[in-house]
Amino acid sequence: MKKSFAVFLKRNLAFAKLAIVTNLEYRLNYFVDAIVQPIMTTGIEILLWLGVFAGTHSVTINGFGKDFYLSYALWAAFFARIATSWMYEFRMIEEVSSGTINSLIVRPMGFYEYYLSQLLGYKFITTIISMIIPIIASYYFKLPCIYERIPLASLLCFYYLILVHTISFLVCSVAFHLTKISSFTVAKNLMLWILTGELFPLDLIPQPWRSQLISLPFASGVYLPVGYISGRVDHSYMVHGFISVTIALVILNLIASWLWKIGLRSYSGTGA
Amino acid sequence: MSIVIETKDLSREYLSYQKPEGILNSIKGIWNRKYDSKIALNQTTLQIESGKIIGLVGANGAGKTTLLKILSGLVTPTSGDATVLGYRPWERDYKFLKQISILLGQKNQLWWDISPMDSFVLLSRIYDLELSTSRKRVLELAEMLQCTHVLNTQLRRLSLGERMKMEIIGALLHEPRILFLDEPTIGLDIVAQENIRNFLANYVKEKEPTIILTSHYMDDIATLADRLLLISKGNIVYQGTVDEFVKNSNSELAHDEKVDFEEVIRRFLETESRIR
Repeated sequence: MKKSFAVFLKRNLAFAKLAIVTNLEYRLNYFVDAIVQPIMTTGIEILLWLGVFAGTHSVTINGFGKDFYLSYALWAAFFARIATSWMYEFRMIEEVSSGTINSLIVRPMGFYEYYLSQLLGYKFITTIISMIIPIIASYYFKLPCIYERIPLASLLCFYYLILVHTISFLVCSVAFHLTKISSFTVAKNLMLWILTGELFPLDLIPQPWRSQLISLPFASGVYLPVGYISGRVDHSYMVHGFISVTIALVILNLIASWLWKIGLRSYSGTGA
Repeated sequence: MSIVIETKDLSREYLSYQKPEGILNSIKGIWNRKYDSKIALNQTTLQIESGKIIGLVGANGAGKTTLLKILSGLVTPTSGDATVLGYRPWERDYKFLKQISILLGQKNQLWWDISPMDSFVLLSRIYDLELSTSRKRVLELAEMLQCTHVLNTQLRRLSLGERMKMEIIGALLHEPRILFLDEPTIGLDIVAQENIRNFLANYVKEKEPTIILTSHYMDDIATLADRLLLISKGNIVYQGTVDEFVKNSNSELAHDEKVDFEEVIRRFLETESRIR
């Protein structure tokens, strides 16, 4: 038991390293993904909030001042980068639909763990580099930021990433039956764009929707960690986030494993 | 010798969507689709002893790759049963997967974006091998295949022949007891084909794995195979040695005609194509 866990750990560490090695092979692409893209997203969102405040002629919106929204926009873009896996989801779907999955399922390892470890490895290396930017920007522009809360906020976001991966695994299982499903990923990502709070803070949504959306596990991707860092939400929300993600993980993993088994049974070995 | 592969009435059926031509039929296909069923493997029963090289021969679509994929655990049969080394392949028990390897000549199994050496380190982790031992083994195999110089070049930058050599090293790294080779020399020039054939022949002498080999190059089969499995429209139509097969075929010909293995197979495949 102890040995098999050690083997599992070593294997998954190797998968995480694979993601790092692969991504660092293409340095410019990595730099654009880790730095340029979130900076551009942040820039757009900050301009948007500056425009909103200029238009409303109000000092606060929903009880929070301009600095809180600028801080939210700054951090949200970087946390959203952690909380998405569309790139790996497309790869997973492609493995199934093109048949390259063959080389993975005849080896003593799981498809779920293989991609999860790669995803976590890649996000880890990206986060270390990209998170320097909002930390410096917050400090320089004196935006509301509780720095000691960053580790717990990041932990919740990474925990949520496992849920995101499980959703990807579920979508990918469908590829065994329906060859082309990239539109599923796009539709799902659009939904998560709102549900995570990437587009705007979820507390702007009127009741009763607000409470319901915040209680969903998706809020743990962006709204809760960013709200926690910028002082919009307190510790109890974070505890709720961890619990809701855990429940969703159990339920979605059961459904995904079932779909995966059915998919493999019908798989023809030449692509879906 | 012990039996390592055993199948009983093993069948696999595939369903494929049939779309009549034209845009109207595409629209109709949104709510009404017709599927055609095809039996790729039909109630196959066979036994394979350990340490043998089995040449699996048949026309395109005869069912040889399907059989190979079922036995390696890639595909689940529609009915029937099979055991490989005592395991049901499609249950994909890790203990089973650690003892087999499959090489699909038309698909890459190593990682495209990294060097073969990085891939081999990763494979060592997957198969739980000592890193130092597997590194030594890689160098040994690379030496035999004369490709040590490309071990640190990104896989995508290698030629087809070099890539195939890397795939072979990857497939043999964990010293599998059963090796499934699906057209390992496809697309290679004559010299490269011969190199790989010689390498496999030496490897088999040394390690004695059981190998199931499919190839469209009859030289591969004639040089390497101890036994021949002839498959036609999902059915095994001949099981025996290559020599017996040639002898039987010659006895059916006019007394002044004598043909070699390649010619016998060519005639068999030609007949197959006409029937199909």
